[in-house]
Amino acid sequence: MEFPNDLKYQATHEWVKIEGDIAIVGISDHAQDQLGEIVFVELPSVGDSLEKGAVGANVESSKAVGEVVAPVSGEVTEVNEKLEDEPEIVNSSPYGDGWIFKIKMSNPSEADSLLDAAGYQATL
Amino acid sequence: MDFVPHDEETIKNMLEKIGVENIDSLYVDIPNNLKIKDLNIPEGLTEADLLKKLTELSEKNKIYTSAFLGAGSYYHYIPSLVDFVISQSQFFTAYTPYQAEVSQGMLQSIYEYQSAISRITEMDVTNASMYDCASALAEAATMAFFITKKRKVLLIEGIHPEYVETVQTYCWGRNIETKIISLDDLENNLNDEIAGVLIQSPNFFGEIENISHVAKIIRSKTKKCILIQAMSDPTCLGKLTPPGKNDVDIFVSEGMGNKPSFGGPNLGILSVKEKYMRKMPGRLIGLTKEINGDKEGYILTLQAREQHIRREKALSNICSNQALSMVAALIYLVSLGKTGLKEVAIQNFQKAHHVKKALSQISSYSIINNKPTYNEFVVKCPNVDKLIKKCKENDILPPLRLSNYFPNRKDEILVCVTELNSDESIKKFLQIAKEAI
Repeated sequence: MEFPNDLKYQATHEWVKIEGDIAIVGISDHAQDQLGEIVFVELPSVGDSLEKGAVGANVESSKAVGEVVAPVSGEVTEVNEKLEDEPEIVNSSPYGDGWIFKIKMSNPSEADSLLDAAGYQATL
Repeated sequence: MDFVPHDEETIKNMLEKIGVENIDSLYVDIPNNLKIKDLNIPEGLTEADLLKKLTELSEKNKIYTSAFLGAGSYYHYIPSLVDFVISQSQFFTAYTPYQAEVSQGMLQSIYEYQSAISRITEMDVTNASMYDCASALAEAATMAFFITKKRKVLLIEGIHPEYVETVQTYCWGRNIETKIISLDDLENNLNDEIAGVLIQSPNFFGEIENISHVAKIIRSKTKKCILIQAMSDPTCLGKLTPPGKNDVDIFVSEGMGNKPSFGGPNLGILSVKEKYMRKMPGRLIGLTKEINGDKEGYILTLQAREQHIRREKALSNICSNQALSMVAALIYLVSLGKTGLKEVAIQNFQKAHHVKKALSQISSYSIINNKPTYNEFVVKCPNVDKLIKKCKENDILPPLRLSNYFPNRKDEILVCVTELNSDESIKKFLQIAKEAI
């Protein structure tokens, strides 16, 4: 199981990639593995404004539904529409093509309190 | 499938496993003053005594030979096949299967029901059924909130007053505002803060609303407002334009194949457009194939959003269906077939219009509806009390006094005529109307 070092993590199993003032959000390898085959991803709408800690998306497998909690506050600028037809990409490429949504951060300092790869792994 | 209750030993094992002494100690959290000590339940009766008592009770029922009462619950001819099939012990349970996949036959019946309803409504997806039309409509209103995240729904006048109450109760719990408006005011009340518009057609007064026109207004004024249509008597689908053709987002109904018996038990029908499938409450049965084979099987699908998994985050508290009433609806539809349902609809329409016209020709009677009607209509009468009394004396279950729901409409009655009203009963009813002046 992989936990790339260039990403930040939340104990609720989201990963975040910071690119300037944009935060790209997905779920960790561990989370996709625990959920099993993902059959549906409920995406937020572009333009939605999310507070840190709010539910941004739902990831559904045949036996469970996982919530994707916004790791930072801001406005949703892009969602991964490919997941509407091919949700299983989250399983096959959780850190790559399986990203879920992008947030334009309103308070970039919130990212400082996120976990690094080692810190996240310690919570598992 | 057998349902075996726990025996003493199993109970003992379970208690030991969780480290609890006896069953009572599972309830220590409940204050003593709230616990019921003695239930005032009489001693058991012998079978013979019980039958005698129940027979005495049932003899208090007044059974009329003909009925002109509808108002949400309709007398229709139910083919004998329906009772025969639902009386099979494999079907004869009010419950949805909880260990679902071992009950393949039950699941297949639900799957066939879903398919049959989707066909007559021309809606994409139908769930395994809800409790009744009122609760299905309330669930549809909350669905509109989940889809749009907006907290206000509009109710168009003409929805059954009891459905309105149910919707208001559910919405109150979800913190969703409800507003009742006339259809003429719809355009002025629409904006992007509205989650959904609820309309009944045929409405409580029997009138067929122009649903496709309502849909056009909603689409032109809002981005994603949900159009919800309720229908009390779905036999009209044999002839009227199905909701799927009118751009309806969520359709709810009840009845079909079930007896009115004091208004229930019944089933709630809930059908939606495919894009809203994942916001739909209740169970859904799917057809699938083995991974390593060709065998088909039925499964409970999309259940991850239900409350046994999602707990307080579930979309609804329903995790059941109306199994027996649902099978009755399915067998009813299958017995009638496409032509049979059409015939029922035509007979209802024609008989009701015959009575409507005849009543309008009696002096001092007038028809209140100014829109087309199906099998119900509102009549202004010279003497409602006398009419109702005379109906009862003549073994006719009288029409509804509209003042039961609308106190200031004292002179009006809601008359329902179905295929079960014989020519003879119609003649008798019209004669009574002439005399009740």
